[in-house]
Amino acid sequence: MSSTVLYHDRYQSYNFGPEHPFSPARLEMLVDLLDALGVWAAPVDPPVAAREDVLRVHAASLVEQVEAAGQGTPMPNARQFGLDTTDVPVFDEMDAATRGLVGGALHGARRIADGTATRVLQLGGGLHHARREMASGFCVYNDLSVAIDALRQAGYRVAYLDIDVHHGDGVQWIHYDDPEVLTLSLHESGRYLFPGTGGVSELGEEPGRGLSLNVPLEPYTENASYLECFERVVPYAIEQYAPDVIVAQCGADAHFSDPLADLMLTTQLYERLFGAILDLADTHAGGRLLLTLGGGYRFDATVRIWAMLYLMATGHDLPDDLPTDWRTRWTERLDAPITPTLHDAPQDFDIPRHDTIVEQNRRVSKRLMEMIAPIWY
Amino acid sequence: MLVQDVMQHPVHTTTVDTPILSALQAMREHDIRHLPVLDDGTLAGVVTDRDLRYMTSPLRTDPVEADVTVANVMSTQLITAGPLDPVEEAARLLRTKRIGCLPVLDGDELVGIITVTNLLDSVIRLTGLEKPSGRLAISLNDEPGQLAQLTMRIAEAGFDVRSVLSYYEDEPTDDGAPATRLRVILRLDTINVRPIAQTLREEGFDVVWPTPKPT
Repeated sequence: MSSTVLYHDRYQSYNFGPEHPFSPARLEMLVDLLDALGVWAAPVDPPVAAREDVLRVHAASLVEQVEAAGQGTPMPNARQFGLDTTDVPVFDEMDAATRGLVGGALHGARRIADGTATRVLQLGGGLHHARREMASGFCVYNDLSVAIDALRQAGYRVAYLDIDVHHGDGVQWIHYDDPEVLTLSLHESGRYLFPGTGGVSELGEEPGRGLSLNVPLEPYTENASYLECFERVVPYAIEQYAPDVIVAQCGADAHFSDPLADLMLTTQLYERLFGAILDLADTHAGGRLLLTLGGGYRFDATVRIWAMLYLMATGHDLPDDLPTDWRTRWTERLDAPITPTLHDAPQDFDIPRHDTIVEQNRRVSKRLMEMIAPIWY
Repeated sequence: MLVQDVMQHPVHTTTVDTPILSALQAMREHDIRHLPVLDDGTLAGVVTDRDLRYMTSPLRTDPVEADVTVANVMSTQLITAGPLDPVEEAARLLRTKRIGCLPVLDGDELVGIITVTNLLDSVIRLTGLEKPSGRLAISLNDEPGQLAQLTMRIAEAGFDVRSVLSYYEDEPTDDGAPATRLRVILRLDTINVRPIAQTLREEGFDVVWPTPKPT
């Protein structure tokens, strides 16, 4: 399977400032690692998305707000659009910077739609919280929904899979009533974590009823329980829905070291998940797969996880050790230790509520399957 | 939240001289279980689907016929609510009287009906989320100014509070001492709650969620 990698340094201009968790340095560190590993090949440079492309999904009122904010003149009611907030502060040229990321996902979708690519890895974006008329949770425009819209326009049935630790709410609501888009999100329960939604009862609206699936997981969920729920829901849903293409948001923030959320996954599980996603696309969607990045706020873990995604998507073997010079460079720059291996060292967490968590996740994922059964048959 | 915010209106009604079969058909048609009964435009009683089924049941020694009028089976002991009553008052009334609905009267005029289903909807609204938010749970000493201090710190940090819920964590003790800890659950307009949680913890607040991750 040949793969297309999309990337340009302009992706790094999506930058909310040095103190902000959604840091472009993660991309810089990732590309530097891939280069040091000797696997970095010149990526395809996608065009920046046009205003009209963004307007396919977003309200003109939001786009006007973002444009004004990016010109240094945010409108007085910017906060109502989620802008000029702690999560989405304004920065120079934020409209153009976001369209740069949207352009990547959109180009990937168009290449898949015109048959010139099958598996595409967009090394950036995954802005799944952005809503039609509101920026939210570090996300200005919804690159995923713009890509999904383009695939829809080309007549493709889309399955969207979101393994970011946060509920993929923006994508879900934008396609909530669309029978040609299945959204599937596994995330830490909204009872505990932003954005608060993503319960099993959010099943979609007619005519897309039953095509919005959510698996909310307990805080401190570990590998085995996560995988059990993934296996219960995802392969079945993809097989039954039989999409023409899969769009996957591959946030890395369900990792145990992530500072923003409370799941306890290790890199070993991410390898399983990425393998499963590639297999599902090959088996049920003719190999057509658009992968994006997403959340992930512990640099060390996030970059190793996304390096693994790159290596697996482009058909490389996974190395055990990471290059010393790269580690030295980034240890110094981040002033934090870097794991010397691609994978985490074996972990053994001491989680007092372990059995309860496993049972609750099992119950919730089974309930989801019971709820969709009468709709799907 | 007031009764008028969650009540059902306009309201389906029946009349005292309607045959019970017609009343039952009306309930079926509108998918409801309670009908206020009017006598010459004035509220005279309430009839429920259970009243109808019970009165006509062949298991009774003296089941009534389908053409009996509603007046014969309705309950006439009227328990009602006003449109400006708080929903919690309506809930308490339904609970203590062990009934399923309250006709809502504005003076003598029937303006709506509030049922257990409407109250469940109000719970969903009160605890629900209209906008994306992150959760912060704090256990406060039940003293004046504690909540004010908390929300002041949150405002200073630049966050918008999108929802507030609170309840007492403990029951009054056996010797009658009142509850002392108030659990406050705030939803803030941020995906990144931990830094403000940490700040509050350092300032002495008992932050219940988010907690440090296990290792």
